[in-house]
Amino acid sequence: MATKVNRATAVREAPASRHSPELLLGLYRMMVKCRMCDEKARILFKQGKYAGNFYSNVGQEGGEVGGAFSLRKDDWVAPSHRDWTSCIVKGAPLKACFAQLYGKTDSPDRGKSTPAHMGYPELHIITPASTIAAQLMIGTGVAWGLKRQGKDSVVVSYCGDGATSIGWFHEALNFAGVHKLPMLYVVQNNLWAESVPLRLQTALTDLSDRAKGHGITGVSVDGNDILAVYEAATKAIARARAGQGPTVLECKTYRWYGHSEIDPAKYRMPEELAEWKKKDPIPRFEKYLADRKLLNDQIKKQVRDEITHEIDQAVEFAENSPYPAPEEALEHIWA
Amino acid sequence: MARTITFIDAINEALHQEMERDSRVCILGEDLGMGGGVFKATAGLYQKFGEERVLDSPLAEGIIIAAAIGASLVGYRPVPEIQFADFIGDAVDPILQQAAKLRYRSAGGYSCPITIRVCWGGGTGGGLYHSQENTTWFAHEPGIRVLAPSTAYDAKGMLIAAIRDENPVLFFEHKKLYRTAKSEVPEEPYTVSLDEAAVRRPGRDMTVLTYGYMASVVMEAAEEMAKRGVEAEVVDLRTLAPLDKRTIVESVRKTNRCLIVHEDTKTLGIGAELSAILNEEAFDDLDAPIMRVTGPDIPPVPFSPPLEKFFMVDKDKVMAGMEKLAGY
Repeated sequence: MATKVNRATAVREAPASRHSPELLLGLYRMMVKCRMCDEKARILFKQGKYAGNFYSNVGQEGGEVGGAFSLRKDDWVAPSHRDWTSCIVKGAPLKACFAQLYGKTDSPDRGKSTPAHMGYPELHIITPASTIAAQLMIGTGVAWGLKRQGKDSVVVSYCGDGATSIGWFHEALNFAGVHKLPMLYVVQNNLWAESVPLRLQTALTDLSDRAKGHGITGVSVDGNDILAVYEAATKAIARARAGQGPTVLECKTYRWYGHSEIDPAKYRMPEELAEWKKKDPIPRFEKYLADRKLLNDQIKKQVRDEITHEIDQAVEFAENSPYPAPEEALEHIWA
Repeated sequence: MARTITFIDAINEALHQEMERDSRVCILGEDLGMGGGVFKATAGLYQKFGEERVLDSPLAEGIIIAAAIGASLVGYRPVPEIQFADFIGDAVDPILQQAAKLRYRSAGGYSCPITIRVCWGGGTGGGLYHSQENTTWFAHEPGIRVLAPSTAYDAKGMLIAAIRDENPVLFFEHKKLYRTAKSEVPEEPYTVSLDEAAVRRPGRDMTVLTYGYMASVVMEAAEEMAKRGVEAEVVDLRTLAPLDKRTIVESVRKTNRCLIVHEDTKTLGIGAELSAILNEEAFDDLDAPIMRVTGPDIPPVPFSPPLEKFFMVDKDKVMAGMEKLAGY
């Protein structure tokens, strides 16, 4: 009798995770934090609280968090304009992140660049530019320097599917391949490069195949499966640290909103978005955690309450931070 | 101890000495390691410092410059080479959008101490794609120094100063000067100011503003004109960005006339900016309109010898310009 009960229980219970509860909940918290910060940034823009523009990452948190979650402090991140939340993953204070949106003096660039271009030198986050794939080339140069110094630090760069078409993507991969550089190229394939669908971007199905032409490792994963991304990224980062060379990690995902906050994205079919919203990486991971009794409504609420509090403080800080004096425009041009 | 050496030997010596002095200095580019460079500017460096510090890069200018930028972020002082200025197009984004703006867009959080050596200039039969001047593509952009020395002495001292400078630098080396320009050059390392133009020849009748290979052409023309009673003050700009406005304006205030000579095509060449500066700051001192002797507005530089001669500014063209200005 007892045996039967046990068997029945075993069938209902999900297999134990290979990962510790601390890691799993850490990944979860970080995905929720990125989602909530990103949504808040969108709302603030729509409320006219800051100028410029914002490039939402909502829907892509699997790749964003999984790609860089296992980095050390001495490692580097080379984000694109859509990776404001990668700064959060690397550990940048939310106060600085929101001050960046507002263009205030407490932003790392003191309002010089735009909301989307957040770097953080103390945490080795390279200040991004809007020119496509430039961050991959600069990041590759950093990796070259790190390798020459005999360090085991690595560089994780982010780009979208569109960036894999430009020559500089290939110059970077080629150079990284020649010198077996400690690079992880996270390609967030969200199927749309601004308004251009993937079918007009490339004849490839898997963007990780781009790696083959450069003699380096390419891996494609379901970008909305945080554990698939985390495991592939962690393996690639370990290979990079061990001197075994770079990896292209394609995360197949979807961008929920327009290219930017001024783009209603009417070029997409609503059915496509609805289909991808069903694959939202966060509820999917919540189910995984709940199945293993690591998450319940109470913990979910607690996580969200804590993040809400932190965001509220960061927004208040950003709003109270002073604007730079006009003459500051003249500073930091020359050494 | 000083001895007479060529422009290219001065560059080679500067690279050797800076690499010996500072282990953070490394170089990369096309054909410059095992091959020693197409003009031998980097001869002997690969043999002395090895592949770790003298890297033959893939044939891709974008990553040459971007790799240098990235390495500078982790403490190196890279000296990448662009083999011919005509090939720099692929590296324009890394140079202008990344290197030149990095300090600004990180509010000083990052700096980018790289020195990009670029071989430029016509008059050697290189034709289209091996002769172009494109200094003003870059002089227009705040945040990156643009240098164009004209003497072996300056080549060594300015290259050493550039490598030690915290700003990104474009160091334009005129290929015609490589083996024709010779001067007394100290054996030991030294630096030359990157902020000051040089008055090569004092004069009272007119100021001639020039740089690069043209500086030597202008000096010859000025000596000839002196025999005809026209004493020109020759100012070698040396640094095209940021310009040494003080020396330029002071000279014109003294001579009251100004001729600008450059090899570059006329439209929006550096002469246009020099003229505008003088218009703003020395208008009341001018006794004649500012005049220019420059390359014509045609694709630089056509190949066939008569066509190249048509393009290049030479002594006769400079003297004609000086005559015209003196007679105004």
